[in-house]
Parts: sequence; C-alpha cells; structure tokens
Amino acid sequence: MNWLIRFLKISRNQWPWMGAGILLGVVVVAANAMLMAVSGWFIASMAVSGSSGVAFNYFFPSAGIRFLAIVRSVGRYGERLVTHEATFRNLSELRVWLFRRFIPLSPACLERYAGGDVAGRLRADVDSLESLYLRIIAPIAVGGVSIVSALLFLLWISPPSAAVMFLFLTMAGVALPWLVHRLSEEPGRVATSLSAQLRSKVTEGVQGVEELILLGAVERQAAVVDHLSEAVISKQLSLGRINGLSLAGSVLFAGCGVAAVLLTGSMQVVAHQTAAPNLVLLLLFSAATFEAAGLLPAALHLLPAARESATRIFDLADAPIPVPDTPVSLVRPAGGRICFTDVSASYLPGEPVLRNVSLIIPEGGRAVLTGSSGVGKSLLLEILLRFRTYEGSVTVGGIEISTLPKEILMDMIAVVPQRPHLFNGTIRDNILLGNRAASEDQLQQALRDSCLDLWVAGLPLGLDTAVGVNGSAVSGGEARRIALARALLKDAAILLLDEPTEGLDGETERRLVSNLAARFGGDETTTLLVVSHRPACLALGDSIVHLSSSKEPLRDI
Amino acid sequence: MTEQSEGKADDGERRGSSAESWLFAEARNIRLLLLSIVSLAAGIGLLVVFQAHLLAAACQRIIMQGEGLSAALPLAALLVVLAAGRSLCSYLLENRSAAAAARVKQSVRSRLYRKIQALGPAGLAGEEAGPLVETVTRGVDELEPYFTRFLPQLSLAALLPFMFLIFVVPAEWRSGLVLLFSAPFIPLFMILIGRGSESLHRRQWNRLSRMAGHLLDLVQGLPDLIVFGAAKTEAQTVARVSEEYRSATMAVLRVAFLSAFTLEFFATVGTAVVAVIVGFRLLSGVLTLQEGLFVLLMAPEFYLPLRNLGLSYHARMQGVAAAERIAPLLAQPLPEGFAGSLMPPTGPPAVLFEAVSFRYGSNRGGVAGVDLELQSGRITALAGESGAGKSTLARLLVGLARPESGRILINGQDLASFQPDAWRALIAWVPQTPFFTSGTLRENLLLGRPDAVDAQITAALEAAAASFVNDLPDGLDTVLGERGAGLSGGELKRLALARAYLRQATLVVLDEPTAGLDPENERLVCLALERLAVGRTVLIISHREETLLQAHCVAEMIDGRIERVVPSAEYLAPLGAA
Repeated sequence: MNWLIRFLKISRNQWPWMGAGILLGVVVVAANAMLMAVSGWFIASMAVSGSSGVAFNYFFPSAGIRFLAIVRSVGRYGERLVTHEATFRNLSELRVWLFRRFIPLSPACLERYAGGDVAGRLRADVDSLESLYLRIIAPIAVGGVSIVSALLFLLWISPPSAAVMFLFLTMAGVALPWLVHRLSEEPGRVATSLSAQLRSKVTEGVQGVEELILLGAVERQAAVVDHLSEAVISKQLSLGRINGLSLAGSVLFAGCGVAAVLLTGSMQVVAHQTAAPNLVLLLLFSAATFEAAGLLPAALHLLPAARESATRIFDLADAPIPVPDTPVSLVRPAGGRICFTDVSASYLPGEPVLRNVSLIIPEGGRAVLTGSSGVGKSLLLEILLRFRTYEGSVTVGGIEISTLPKEILMDMIAVVPQRPHLFNGTIRDNILLGNRAASEDQLQQALRDSCLDLWVAGLPLGLDTAVGVNGSAVSGGEARRIALARALLKDAAILLLDEPTEGLDGETERRLVSNLAARFGGDETTTLLVVSHRPACLALGDSIVHLSSSKEPLRDI
Repeated sequence: MTEQSEGKADDGERRGSSAESWLFAEARNIRLLLLSIVSLAAGIGLLVVFQAHLLAAACQRIIMQGEGLSAALPLAALLVVLAAGRSLCSYLLENRSAAAAARVKQSVRSRLYRKIQALGPAGLAGEEAGPLVETVTRGVDELEPYFTRFLPQLSLAALLPFMFLIFVVPAEWRSGLVLLFSAPFIPLFMILIGRGSESLHRRQWNRLSRMAGHLLDLVQGLPDLIVFGAAKTEAQTVARVSEEYRSATMAVLRVAFLSAFTLEFFATVGTAVVAVIVGFRLLSGVLTLQEGLFVLLMAPEFYLPLRNLGLSYHARMQGVAAAERIAPLLAQPLPEGFAGSLMPPTGPPAVLFEAVSFRYGSNRGGVAGVDLELQSGRITALAGESGAGKSTLARLLVGLARPESGRILINGQDLASFQPDAWRALIAWVPQTPFFTSGTLRENLLLGRPDAVDAQITAALEAAAASFVNDLPDGLDTVLGERGAGLSGGELKRLALARAYLRQATLVVLDEPTAGLDPENERLVCLALERLAVGRTVLIISHREETLLQAHCVAEMIDGRIERVVPSAEYLAPLGAA
C-alpha cells in the first residue's frame, strides 16, 4: 500500500479534483439506483392508491423522478469531465516530479532500469501511473462508497434485505474478482512473455527480410511467427474464458441477490414491518446496486500490474544518486587543462574497465584517443562529465572534478556523445540547445563546420524540419552532425567528441575533419578530446593516445 | 494551415471508411461465430424479459393480492434459475467472442506477416520497421474489440429494442410509443456529435501524441540536457507542456463526452417519462401493477443496447485505427519479381550490367544507365559516397529488386530468365548489418544451409576467422540475444562471413563488411574475405582502403552512375598521396 500512499502524496495538490470526481461518481450511482427505486415505489403506490382509493400525493415523487433523471445524466457528464481533469492535472504533477527525480540519476541509474528496454518499460510504467486514478482509484472508491451507502440505506429500510445483500455483494464485488485474479495470473504472465517473443521474431523478420529471402529461410521464420502467434492467442483465449467466468458469476450473484431480497422483502410486507410498495423499491434498488458493484472487478483486475509499475518507478526514483553533486565551490577551474592520474573505473561493480590510467591534455591541446571497442574510451569521457564515479584523480584546470559543482563543470564542457539524442522538435531547436543565445551567424558557422549547410539548404523547410521521435526522420550520420553543431555552438573550453564521423561516407568524413582541423588549428584555448578509431580522425589531434585493454598504462604514439 | 489540416481530416475520414469495409469483409470469415454471439445475446434478452415478467408478477401477487411467502418462494426459485440461465449464456457468449477474436487475429496476423515478407523493403518503400512490427503485433490485437464488442453491439442495437417493444406494446402501448419515438434521436445525436469530435480528434492527434511522449523524449535525452545545462529549465517545460496537453485534451473530451451525454439523457428521461405515464395509468386503475412494473423494468433494458453501442464506440475507433494500418498493407500489390525457369550456371558466374536503371520513386540512392562487368572468380569493389547507389546495385544483382530498364546478364543470359529460388541458392549476401535471430549460434549459422554438419560449421568458422566461438563456454550453443546482442560488431561480422562461407555460394556480395570496425577486427575480417573469395565471384561495397586493396578492380559510383573502373592500386594511389 506504500506505493499508493506515495502516489497520493505526490498528487496532494489535486485532491480536491480527485475527491470531486469520486463524489460526482457516487452521486451518479446513487441517482441511478434511486431513479429506479423511486420509480418502482411510485408506480406501486399509485397502483395501491388506484385500487384502494386512498389518496396518494403523487406530485412530489413524480417531480423527484424527473429531478433524479437530470441529476443522473448531467452528473455523469460532469463526472467524466472532472475525473479526466483530475487525471491530467495529476499527470502534470507526476511528470514534473519524475523528471526532477530523474535528473541526478541519469545516465548511470536509468540505463539499468528494467533490464535495458528503458524507453518501452518507462513509457508503460508512466502510462500506468498516469491512469492510476482514472482506471483504478476512482472506480474502486466510487464502487466501495456506493456499496457501503447502499447497504446503509437498505439497513434503514429493511435490515434483513441489507444482510442478504451484504452477502451477495461481497461475493460479486470481492470474492469473484479475487478468484478471477488468481485464475488469470498464470496465463496473463505467459501471454506477456510469449508476446515479447512474438514481437522479437516479427522484428527480426521485418528487419532481416532481404537476408531471409536470400537464405531461403522466409517460410521457416513465418512458421515460427505463426506458431508463436497461435500460442499467444491461445493464452488470450483462456483469459477471455476467465473473463466470461467473471461475467457469468456477477450475473448469477446479482440474480440470486434480487431473489433473496424478494424473499426478505415479502416476509417484511407479510409481517407488516414495511409498507407494501417498499417491496418494489427494495427490489429495484438492489438490482441497481449490483451495477455499482460491477465497477469493481475491472478496476481490481488492473491493480496488480499498476502496483508493479508504481513500485518499479518509485524504486527507481529512490535509487541512490550515482554521482552526488557538490553543493558549492568558491574556486573555478582556470582553463581547460585535463589531467587523469591513476584513474580506475567500471560500468558495473566488480568488472573494472579502466585501470590506473594517466593522461594529460594541456589547455588548448588536441588529443585523439584510439583503441579497440570496449577498452573504456567512452567511459573516460563519461568520467569527465561526472556521469560515473572513479578512483584516482581527475582535474580540470587544476581542480579535482569531484569537488566541483556539476553546473560549473558543465559550463566548461561541450560533447557529442556516442549516441546523441535528438529531441522531438526541429533541427533548429536541437542545435540551439547548445546555446540558446546564439546569433544567426554563430548558428550558420556551426552548420558549415559540421557539414550540415548543404543538406539543410536542400530541405524544403530548412532548419525548421522536424527530426521526428528519437531523430527517426533523419539518418544516423545526420543526427550525429546535428549533435556536433549543437556542441560547437556551445563554444566551451573543453570539447569532447565520441566517434564524430561514425556513419559518414568517406568524402563527408574528410570534409568534416578538415573543417574541424581548421576551426581548432589555431585555437589555443579550446581543449579537444576526440575518441575515434577512424584513421581520418587522427588528423584532428596534435597527440594520439592509444588505450589498450591490458593493464599497461596509456602510451603516446 | 487550417485548410491543410481540414484536408487531412477529410482524408482521414476517407481512409476510415475504406478500413471499415475491410473490417466488414473480415467479419464475413467469422460470420457463423458472430451469428452465435448475436443469438446468445438475443437469448439473454429473452431471459431478461422473463425475469422482468417474474419480478412484476411477484410484486403483483404480494402487494396487490396480499399473498404471502408461499407465493414468493417458487417465484424466487424461478428467478435463481433464470439468473443461472443468463449466467450460462453470458459465459458462452464471452467464450464465443474470444474464439471469434482468436480466429480473426490468427488469420490476419499470419497473412499480414507473410505479406510484409513478400513485399520486402522494395514494396514497403518508406515504411519503418518499428511501426510495421507494432502493426503486426499490437495492431492485430487491437482489432479484437471491433469484432467482439462493436459488431455484436451494432446488431443487438438494431435487434433487441424491437424485440423488447413486442413485449411492451401489448402491456402498455403509450409507453411503447414513448420508447419508440425517443430511440431514433439517440443514434442521430450521437452521430452528429461523434462526427464533430472525430474530426476534432484527428486534427489534434499528432499534436496530442507528441505532447504525450514529451516526458519520455526528455528522459531519454537527459544526459544531453545535463551537459548543455538545460535539465533544470526543462523541468519547467515539462510542466508547461503537460498543462497544454491537459487543456488540449480536455477541449477534445468536452465535445467527445457530449455524445455519451445525449445518450444517457434520452435514456434516463425516457425511463422517467415511462415511470410517470405508467404511474398515472395505474392511479386511474386501467393498468395492473404487474403490467405497469413490467413496462418500467423494460424501459432501461430498451435503451441498454443503444448505450452499449455508444460505449463500444471506442472499440470501433480502435479497430478502425488498426485496420487503417493493416488493410492498405494487405491490399498492396506485390512487386513484380522475375519468374524464369532456366537453371543458373554452377561455376562462379560472370556478371554484366547493361544500361541498368532503377530509381524506386525517390531520386536518392537510385542507379541510372549502369554498365559494369564482374569477372568470373574475381573480386570487384564498389566505392563512392553514401547515397550514390552502391547498395541498390547490389540488391539488383542478388534479385531483391528488378531493373526498371536495362538488363543484368549472367554468363550471357538475362537474370530474369532464371528460376528465382535456384538463383538465390547460389548467392551469399552479407549486408551492412547482418541478420541474426535470437537463438543459438548454430541456428544462426545454419539459416542458409539447414543440413550442414558440425565439421562443416567448424571449417566455415575457421575460414571466417571466427574461431572465437570455440572459446565461448557454450560454443555453438551460445544463445544470442536480440539482434546479436552479446557479441561485438566485429565478431558478428565474422559470424556472418562464416554463414556466407557455409552456404557454398558462387556469387558473394558484401556490403561494407568492415565499416565500424577497429583495425584489429578489420584485419581479421579482411583475412576471412580473402579465403571466402577463392573460386567465387565477389562484389564488395566499401570505402575502407584496407578492404579495397583486396579487390582486382574498383568501380567508383557517383550519383547513380559508374564514374570509372580502375585497378585497385590505381584507385588508392591518390588517396595515399593525400
């Protein structure tokens, strides 16, 4: 239940909206039940009055019926609006809360989240948390409050009926959902894992279709897909049957409940403990109450998955900050001299990647770091960005970076990471991220230096072209160059480039390297550190450093 | 701008209606199941009528006739029996629905996947893999509610209200008239409002989905935001975009919920009017309580199928949205393949491109008027900028696409005259990112030649400088993750070469075999290439010097044309000088 309390705490500003939504929900359920109950009581009283000749004041009930009809339909519209309003207001709070929590955790903690598929998992978990109120909290609260109030109302009119209704409502609203949950746990889990397998086989087939054709293996892969699809569907079929069982159960309990109320109500009428027309009221009210109980199974069914998602997210949000920030510092680094002394570091504890690495790049120096994949070239850059912890000493401008607030350090560094992220916006938005105050001239210069000018000029919308989700609308090489333009625009004291020419053809690579060499050739203040194993990039450095996987330290070539 | 988005909305509606006709056509395949679903639901409707009748009778006897428990008891027992009957029918109905859904999903998914395979990248120009996979997996699942909820509800909405009227009118025709005349307004208003919200929804769709994904976009790019000092300020953007998302969505919902409101309003007010009419008829003594109560109980039931239809509107939207993706894919014509009957030559083939052109719609990456000779048993390299048409030429050669004009001669005979499967059996193709299936290394190596024995696999691994496999703890039974995860790029390249080696092809086509590799891996791959090339005709696409060195000649492509064909030493000479 901790996760639920946590959720409610985060959304405390929205309690009025959430409460109003639930209240309106209860009003609608009550109006619905009362509409039928009062109508039934009204016609029974009219019939009794008609046959016995005893006068009946029909003015009040018939006005009441019309009133309830309007309350019910208008209330329902209002309830839907208010619950959705509450949901979206919650979404705002949650997103800001999550984002602020995630900032210090990135990237070391986030990348370990849910075994790699960070984006997919996170999307599903956040979605589930965002709809927690609408799909789970509100229906359960409305159903619960309605059932309790209905029972209290019945207790007032006819205690024996309240007793039997309590029995059948518990069966329909609590026991049945519990049984359904137990039954569907296993097929549900299997269906999820089979779906993941199916997805991965379909992905292979779609991405590898040409090779499958040439290998003559298309039909074999299709048979595997068919087989998995059949397995998934058969599990979905069992889930459908269990759903049928749940539905059948609630119909049966509702029928039994109404039959039982018929008996208890008749007993009371016979014993003159209640007026005869009240029997109709009891029957119709009970039948309507079972409709309210029908809200519960669907919501309870979603509860376990929501709990898992919420727990996962809160665990992540509570994870210890991998590289804690330093609050304040009075000293500022003087210049961009970088000095690694005896640095050891790893991605995962117990699997050291860098051991006792020492490296000095003087201010204004240009170093190219080479070495085969996996020896920790990128890790070295991430240490400098304070994304990872390290042993040994790393100084920038003579100051140990672990004693520097991240903000000051980041002011000095621009970077093109191994996998730069393009935000879902225009090319201009993405480049200006480097320096929002940049002038048009600076922007054009950055475009020219990163060999983007001709490409952008050829686009119908130019810099206002959208890059798509995760840069899906541009090629990998284009994305990398956009990230390069972004980094150049920042004009920082230190520039880190991780494989800046990956995914470029030879000609563009040559042009890019010569642009960068020209830009930084006479620059005595910018310190450049390039990670690459492309021969063309060697021209960027005044020193070349080879990092090898053995324990031997770095050597200059 | 507004006009443009209006146009888009209209276009969306057109696509929606053709998707719906495809859905109806699919429904025909399961019409017996659908019929049994509708009959079961109609059966439930009849049981509801009996139940109302029983309750009304019970009230009549106890309230009006003053009978005691002896009358109530058998009626209560009958009610339980009826409830059991309804319960059974409901179970069967859900069961049939699930079966119908299963049938549709299995058939559509199987056809869709095979169609995508048959279309291949050429036929799917511009489609990205991610959305396609989504369509085959979740998209097909999303068809389910259309068939199990919307279609049955549609027929029930047309059937049940009239069935109920048949019982109501004899008991109280005035109330029957109220129901009859209020009913047509419901679908009318729903359609009017539903249309409005649908086009509103379509117009907002892109914007809304972008805002919905905003947080994830920022979280994925957090390291970049941190480096550029924008993380803290972006927290405010998150708040602002979420607020915009809320107000934009609520604007859509306020209209969308109106259709549900109309429905509820008519149903509730209709029921209330019936109650009042019945009450006054009872007061004047012309109606029995049994008749009156029966009519009152039937009033909400009369509207229920219409309300359910309204609630299944979402199911319809979901199904139509999925069908809008699926139906056009299934309807796409297959690209013209070649279907000759000649058996291809057995030795390493000599290849001659004669004025070959292929543009596939776009002007990037096509080839125009290419003349090129690949000598039998020799290595020819293709060099040039990305987008110059190198990969296109390779795909034309292996038969994945067909030249729009010109021909490709194999030992003097047109490629199109060969039997396609036999021709493909001669080819080993290693694309830029080789295909690996999640499974063992052995399964992956055997993809191209399922009958190879372990000794042949070992020989192939050795030739491809991929003996590292023997050092893995599980050897050939090592399980590869998705897309080959678990091995380095160089190792995967060498495995792909081993697979090509194993295939015993006479024509080998390699697309950038050494791209993205460090020098050590590049050396190993080049070593493997050398062994693979013996006795085979080889075409290598590359711009890496080390790789080009191995070729007998280099053909340089610029803008889809062969610029020059020169011996590799001559091609590399000026590069070395520069």
